Amino acid sequence: MPKATLLYQDAEAQVDAARVDGDQLWLTLSSLEAATGWDLEPEGVCKSGICVPVPDARRSELIRDDLFNLTAFADLIQQPVAHDKKNSIWYFGPAGWEWKSRLTSRHAPDFTLPDLAGRSHSLSELQGKKVFLLFWASW
Amino acid sequence: MLTVACDAKGNAAVEPFIAAAHQQHPSVIDQQLLVAELYDTRNVPAAFWIDESGRIVRAADPIYAQRRNRETGEVTINTEYLDAVRDWVAKGRDSAFVMDGSRLDSRLPELEFDDVAAAAYFHLGAYLARHGEAAEALDYFKRAHALRPENWTYKRQAWSFGDIERDYGTTFQEAVKDPASGPFYPPLDLTD
Repeated sequence: MPKATLLYQDAEAQVDAARVDGDQLWLTLSSLEAATGWDLEPEGVCKSGICVPVPDARRSELIRDDLFNLTAFADLIQQPVAHDKKNSIWYFGPAGWEWKSRLTSRHAPDFTLPDLAGRSHSLSELQGKKVFLLFWASW
Repeated sequence: MLTVACDAKGNAAVEPFIAAAHQQHPSVIDQQLLVAELYDTRNVPAAFWIDESGRIVRAADPIYAQRRNRETGEVTINTEYLDAVRDWVAKGRDSAFVMDGSRLDSRLPELEFDDVAAAAYFHLGAYLARHGEAAEALDYFKRAHALRPENWTYKRQAWSFGDIERDYGTTFQEAVKDPASGPFYPPLDLTD
């Protein structure tokens, strides 16, 4: 099977592309969870307590034999996808429920990032204090 | 105080600045610009005030603590803004500098699919550029710019990987004047 680079937001994985049709990427069901965290269960496609039911009308578009169409699933959950054919790289952004109303709730989204020494810091570690959060860059 | 470097070139690009600043606070690096996307920051600098319960009370302030005049070398401290921060620290939600709901909404707009689609193209471009495929990256950076011309982070970071005139057929001065891009920085509007 041809190799593909899968950028699933911050996770990068080399996966076996079971089938590539244009911009459509199919993975084997057995490799799906390791590559994306999603797994096919009786309730639907599930990951960390969230299950997305698979509508009957779209089942054949998403699942055929032991293959799963990751790009069709992205369309179902309103996830943006960008594909570089030459290098066989797919980038998948956040799902609709993650990006919609993300900031309109006015709750500061938590995040964890490393400092120069590689130590992780999370915004949530500062809860209970006022936080001045500043974004900057060298460019 | 928490500072986030949104820099696809990573530690090598930001280390000299962090070393020079002698920071006492956590200073983290967002090499994939995913946290910049999370907060929909469209340029830097961008400052957010977050209260004790984790609520945003001021958003996306385009502020410098100090500025240096390129010709004279004179350094001006932004005392007006620093005083506003001190006022908030002292008074909390009663500070006149805390934004009301409608002003916050204008700084924290609801995202549309085009916003996250532009982000996807940008992230793919940045990945290619970081892996030595700067020419390949151009196409994706340009798609991100076309979808969200008002996002200066996508432009300035993309330009840093190549040559703005050769690769994008413009100059910084021309790009800033492009009406499609909107303002380089939103107005600061300390209190209205």
